[in-house]
Amino acid sequence: MTALELRGLTKHFDVRTGRGRGIVRAVNDVNLVVPEGQTVALVGESGCGKTTIAKLALMLEQPSSGAVLFEGKSLSCMNRREIKRYRRSVQAVFQDPYASLNPRLRVRSIISEPILAHERSDRASLRKRILEVLDIVGLAAIAADLYPHEFSGGQRQRIAIARAIALRPKIIVLDEPISALDVSIRAQILNLLMDIQKQFGLTYLLIAHDLALVEHVSTNVAVIYLGSIVESGPSAEVFGSPMHPYTRTLLNAVPRPDPDFVPTAAEAAEDAGSALEPPSGCKFHPRCPYVMPICRNVDPAPTDLPDGRRAACHLLTKGLANGAS
Amino acid sequence: MTEQAPLLSVKNLTTHLHLRRGVVRAVDGVSFEVHEGETLGLVGESGSGKTMTCLSILQLLPRHGGGKLDGSIKLDGTELLSMSENEMARNVRGQKVAMISQDPMTSLNPVFSVGDQLSGPFLYHKLVRSVREAWKRAADGLRNVRIHSPEQRLTNYPHQFSGGMRQRVATAMALACSPRLLIADEPTTALDVTVQVQIMSLLKNIQRDTGVGIILITHDLSIVAGLCHRVAVMYAGRIIETGKVRDIYRTPGHPYTQALLEAIPHLGEKREQLTAIPGQPPSLLDPPKGCRFAARCPKRMSVCDDYPPGFEVGDGHVVHCWLKADQR
Repeated sequence: MTALELRGLTKHFDVRTGRGRGIVRAVNDVNLVVPEGQTVALVGESGCGKTTIAKLALMLEQPSSGAVLFEGKSLSCMNRREIKRYRRSVQAVFQDPYASLNPRLRVRSIISEPILAHERSDRASLRKRILEVLDIVGLAAIAADLYPHEFSGGQRQRIAIARAIALRPKIIVLDEPISALDVSIRAQILNLLMDIQKQFGLTYLLIAHDLALVEHVSTNVAVIYLGSIVESGPSAEVFGSPMHPYTRTLLNAVPRPDPDFVPTAAEAAEDAGSALEPPSGCKFHPRCPYVMPICRNVDPAPTDLPDGRRAACHLLTKGLANGAS
Repeated sequence: MTEQAPLLSVKNLTTHLHLRRGVVRAVDGVSFEVHEGETLGLVGESGSGKTMTCLSILQLLPRHGGGKLDGSIKLDGTELLSMSENEMARNVRGQKVAMISQDPMTSLNPVFSVGDQLSGPFLYHKLVRSVREAWKRAADGLRNVRIHSPEQRLTNYPHQFSGGMRQRVATAMALACSPRLLIADEPTTALDVTVQVQIMSLLKNIQRDTGVGIILITHDLSIVAGLCHRVAVMYAGRIIETGKVRDIYRTPGHPYTQALLEAIPHLGEKREQLTAIPGQPPSLLDPPKGCRFAARCPKRMSVCDDYPPGFEVGDGHVVHCWLKADQR
């Protein structure tokens, strides 16, 4: 079953630049299906729009056009009761646990906030639920009476996870959940997230720039470049035989913990373009090693591939993908 | 290369910081060497003392902390710890030892043009006679880090550069006076992977051309693999393992190094569960007497209550762990 679907999702921001007004095309016609109980990852460079997509899914931003569908129904068509139900079904864990927890609240209050916003609960059952979620994330009961500054980064992220699961949501948006943590702590938090996903049948929308992490945890992946999905599909396929030149560039750039590893492809020559003035045609063409004349003028439409993958590249429509690899 | 006298030789360096809550030995008896044309990777988690080690070399410790340094830091045979602040500023910092910091957003001054900032080192160290000459040298610097049309770019301000470009500018500034030693403190952590590759190969090329010694500080073992010749792994203020990069990856000796390599997912290998390291690093306010990793170590023994000396397990491969005691 589909937990969340993004259909033609587009978000443009009006901005003022030094030369007058402009439009930042942060998200362009994004189509993505997030199946229930699975992990779908959004990957891309900074500024590619992955966090904007997460904000749209969390209803922290309204789309310019297109829609986010929850269990088949568009968020923009929901009445207030349905929206409230949606909000309790979707929770988030953010990157920096030093910024995402209110330093003036005790852990008990941090975790009870979402519960009290959505239900009536007496003190006894509230306390019971707080202790229950603290136990799930591996914190002792005494943690409830402490303040965030009394915890380390890893423990803080556990508190943030406890808050996210307090309402028994269906979907959790994970925005770089481990990149702010110490290396020796990352595996603990990652294993915890995987465990509670299994335990509660959670659906994850994961935003990450660490491709090794994404390969490890996600079932599906969407690669985003300047606001558009350039390649999406099952992680094994996308990582095993990347079709889009940008996916290849990204994968080649990942450092390997192997002193004998020699990168196969040349590095991408340029920095990413700007979403304010995106290049014409295929947005990746200024950096693409296989650029053809058509790429400069025509934006390639996504092509469905037999292995359940979609990629938007002129090489595919011309049947040249293998020749280039 | 190892036959030559080392470019930098740090012996038994200890850095005391006076905090409100007590005295912390942020760096606790650290020794290592860097040779010309060599890259040493200093790997560790936040709070392990890797940045403090490098700030100690430059003697740029926070003043209010009342940082006190013990041990010996020799650059080209000259003791740095006995130098006056004025000597350090005139002859060492920026001149012989330069640093690139993690965040190119904050290490450049937003209100001065890149040319103003890049020409600074030339003027300060009196390498040029006029501002115009300094700007010319600055343009050469930008060209060396492969920035196009450097003369025009010099009039730009930091915000007009992308993150990767800014890190190139910071690198150009560090290399301005052709230093002997370059300290790169997490130079790519704030950057995208595609840009990271560019900066890494830039550092490699510069080293090939100039023979500069590099200390690369990082928490990411994967970056170390591609760039460093030797690695020193730090934990809670001490170096627990040093060796050639290949030895560290192929036959890691210390349980902490082994755990670090196991705990991160690697591209192209699917594992069900990652091997997590339980617990967290000890507080440096009250460090354990013995091995500092003992509390988290799966192979803990009773002897671990005493601090293990360095055991040499291979050519230049030293491990501070009692497990290696019998292999000597």
